[in-house]
Amino acid sequence: MDNSICQVYEDEIQSLEEEIKLLAEKYEDSQQESTFFSEEEILMSIKSFQREFQGGSKGHESPSDLKAQLESLETDLSFLMKFTGIQFTSHSKKTVEKTRNRTVRKHRLSGNCHSLSFQLEFQLLEMQNKESVSAVITDLSIIMESGEDSDVSKFVSR
Amino acid sequence: QGKMEEGKAYSPDGVFAHLEMLEARAREAAVKQEEMERQEEKLARLKARVQELRLQRDELRAKVDLQQKGQLGKEGVVSDPAQPSARAVLEWKIKSIKAMLQVFYLTGISGKLTKRGVCFCISTAYEGTYLDSYYLDLLAKPEVQIHRHSVPIFIPLEQIAKKYLQTDIRRFLSVLSDHLNAYVGRRYQADQLQEHFSDQIEGTLQRNSLCNLLVFNYNVSSKSKTFPFNVRLLYGDLCCSLPTEVIVSCTPDAPASLAETAAAHSDLFRHVALHKAFCSFSSAEES
Repeated sequence: MDNSICQVYEDEIQSLEEEIKLLAEKYEDSQQESTFFSEEEILMSIKSFQREFQGGSKGHESPSDLKAQLESLETDLSFLMKFTGIQFTSHSKKTVEKTRNRTVRKHRLSGNCHSLSFQLEFQLLEMQNKESVSAVITDLSIIMESGEDSDVSKFVSR
Repeated sequence: QGKMEEGKAYSPDGVFAHLEMLEARAREAAVKQEEMERQEEKLARLKARVQELRLQRDELRAKVDLQQKGQLGKEGVVSDPAQPSARAVLEWKIKSIKAMLQVFYLTGISGKLTKRGVCFCISTAYEGTYLDSYYLDLLAKPEVQIHRHSVPIFIPLEQIAKKYLQTDIRRFLSVLSDHLNAYVGRRYQADQLQEHFSDQIEGTLQRNSLCNLLVFNYNVSSKSKTFPFNVRLLYGDLCCSLPTEVIVSCTPDAPASLAETAAAHSDLFRHVALHKAFCSFSSAEES
């Protein structure tokens, strides 16, 4: 009899832990998606973070680690943009749905592909199954100034 | 031998036996008592944990709700009233670059610089559903060469590399991507067919690893009788996920009207994805 009560508590603990994890992720996602810092603010933060850190390690990554990570990511990104010719000028996303196995986000992108500028909006559904995450894109809409170029219009409608 | 009556014993053996029995009982009782206390402790712990987690959960819920309300007010940029720490700003930037890199993954070509070159990732998709990704670890010196890769052996990687890798690396990746995307597209169609239309397929669906040759039998019903059709699909263009050659045949005893159906199906298979073609058969039958 006692065991079943234990089980009930244990089940509730597990479901609460999952719910808490999900809520924390939702909060993080929302913070990330609704904030914006300019390049200046980023540079200032790098400087002030290095100053703060003189005080001592807090067990987190050191400013030089974060800075190195940031630089490596930026290098990769600028390489890709140069290599593919796709320069993204802005990217915003909004998490529309998030459950244990499913995340749906709306993305909005703008940029240039070689000399053609574009805007894209789409919805990305990611589902967690046993070993991997599957991704499906829906509701894709493309806006391009393609008035004169019929090839581009054909591509867009495809 | 003593008699044991109401705890009274008269012989020494009896007394010891009695004592032993009492000791055993006392031990058992102590063990049970311990067990009970442990259970109670455990229950109390679990209960406390549940309370703690419930509180945490409720606080988080309130936090998220507040966040949602705050955002309904003004669309776009919302800055945290509390000044974010420098670390938080940097972490934000790192996350947003990672998100941007994920977008590149969605474009089909992404990658990472390595010490000696680049590791490219070709992602494939069929009609919006992302399928496998393939990696190519390239070295830049002394000349561009493939160090390691995860491209399946039946994709003519060497041929494509020979033709384009040294002269036009973008073209190389583009052609390779076409091959890979077409391959996964063909494979996807065959998988979908087996998954969703297995009741219409007779026997096994034969396919090669490149999925450019498919042979199978399926049932066609006409006037409440079913006839087996045999179909052979050859995908001559490896960069295409539609067949270049389709042969649909029915058994000699099949009614003449079915020859028309076979021709119609043949045409359909040449222009429409395999699983979609079967979808239209089912809906045609229902109508």
